[in-house]
Amino acid sequence: MIWIGDQLVSEGPGGVYGERMIQGYRLWNPRRSKLAALYNLGKGIDLESHHRVLYLGAANGTTVSHVADYVEVVYAVEPAPRPMQDLIVVARQRKNIIPIMADARRPERYIPLVEKVDIIYQDVAQPDQAEILSVNSRFLVSDGFMVFMLKPRSIDVTRTPAHVAEEVINELSTRGIRTEECVWLSPYYPDHAALICKIS
Amino acid sequence: MNPNEGSYPLLLMKSYWFLDREGGTCHALPHDQRILAERIKQLEGDKTAETPDWEYAVKCGFVKNRGEYLDLLHATALFLAADRIDEESKVDHPELILMVKMLDEIDTVINLLSERSVEWYRALNPEFSRKSEIPRGRKLRDLMRDGSDEALGEILDEIEQLTRRRSTLSMKVSAKAAEFLPNCSALAGGLVAARLAAEAGGIRALALMPGSAIQVLGARNALFCHLSTASPPPKHGLVYQYRGVHGSRKERRGKVARVLAAKLAIAAKIDYYRGESDPVFIEKAQETILNAGRSP
Repeated sequence: MIWIGDQLVSEGPGGVYGERMIQGYRLWNPRRSKLAALYNLGKGIDLESHHRVLYLGAANGTTVSHVADYVEVVYAVEPAPRPMQDLIVVARQRKNIIPIMADARRPERYIPLVEKVDIIYQDVAQPDQAEILSVNSRFLVSDGFMVFMLKPRSIDVTRTPAHVAEEVINELSTRGIRTEECVWLSPYYPDHAALICKIS
Repeated sequence: MNPNEGSYPLLLMKSYWFLDREGGTCHALPHDQRILAERIKQLEGDKTAETPDWEYAVKCGFVKNRGEYLDLLHATALFLAADRIDEESKVDHPELILMVKMLDEIDTVINLLSERSVEWYRALNPEFSRKSEIPRGRKLRDLMRDGSDEALGEILDEIEQLTRRRSTLSMKVSAKAAEFLPNCSALAGGLVAARLAAEAGGIRALALMPGSAIQVLGARNALFCHLSTASPPPKHGLVYQYRGVHGSRKERRGKVARVLAAKLAIAAKIDYYRGESDPVFIEKAQETILNAGRSP
């Protein structure tokens, strides 16, 4: 990862969402991207130029654009048409983003397009987010990592986030996914956790 | 397998988004986004579809190297995504939802501006009191226009303009709803139908909802209050705006809302999947809804 002082940056054409530039690099703001928040907390999987990434919940392509600056190719899955319009604009500029308009619950829809990847990044804020990760783990190479942004509030607002997170980790392990580390993203994102997972 | 059938059995054939492989030979597809996108659409429902293998694409002569493979995949995926957005807007008509949201926003603005204008007018004319008989709407604006200064007068003109825009937009929403949601509109009126679709998050989302969810659409706070505390469940959300609901006696409203919502759930499904008005259904449903409002 590229750091200028204590600020995370990525190298690529700027002006994707009005991000600041530092010495020609694009500032990757931990308050606007959960992945940047994770790196700023000193955790996470370093992105390398040969990596292939499956990105679930690509939204408007803000974080996707930074990931694409680091890796070889990003398969960006997003179901909703409106954010997809923005993502298409980002993908026109960055040739290593493969936009896929599909629901991450139904990976059979994009099996014909997506090859095996080194990293699966998921940020979907849905009640069934653990199941979504599990059905997509088929795309991961056997020693690959999954970075799972967990929003306990989307699963159950009435219980404490820590409690929900514990349950999700258990659920993942029954589905054959081992959680290596659970990182809470405060102060950047209160009540959000990043789970670093592997196939067990 | 009978070789006389002329074609290889499907099981021996492997299909990728860029080529077909039959036994030892392969047939690469042309580098045409339209054709490749069509192929992907065919493959995506296919449970036997394979994860693509770019090395095979090179071996077969579809592309020269990985760079070219990714370029072609990128171009095809862009084409496909744009195509999907087009398709989506054909069935889901996002403009109807944006129009009805705009309409509700204009209402809010008119109310805010009117309230402020009255306050302003009162400051200029202290004898004008809320306690006295204050006319409403246009009459109020006409009254205020005399005896107010120029700046306030201009704002009143502006409110007048907005009110006119509102009524034209409202007619357009009704017309669009009658076109895209013919059955729902016939039961609950175009505006209510459009608002329900907006609250549900689209015509498709509305079609997938059960009647019980439609009944409380737009009563989110009351619903979650009910779920987390012991407060009673909401009887109606947006369907309250239907005349048969707010017009009937208080103790019958819940029943009318429930019956209306159940019929709307069916109507929304007809609207989404069939896309045309069903007069027989509408007539029977209207009768059932009317009966629900009558005393037993």
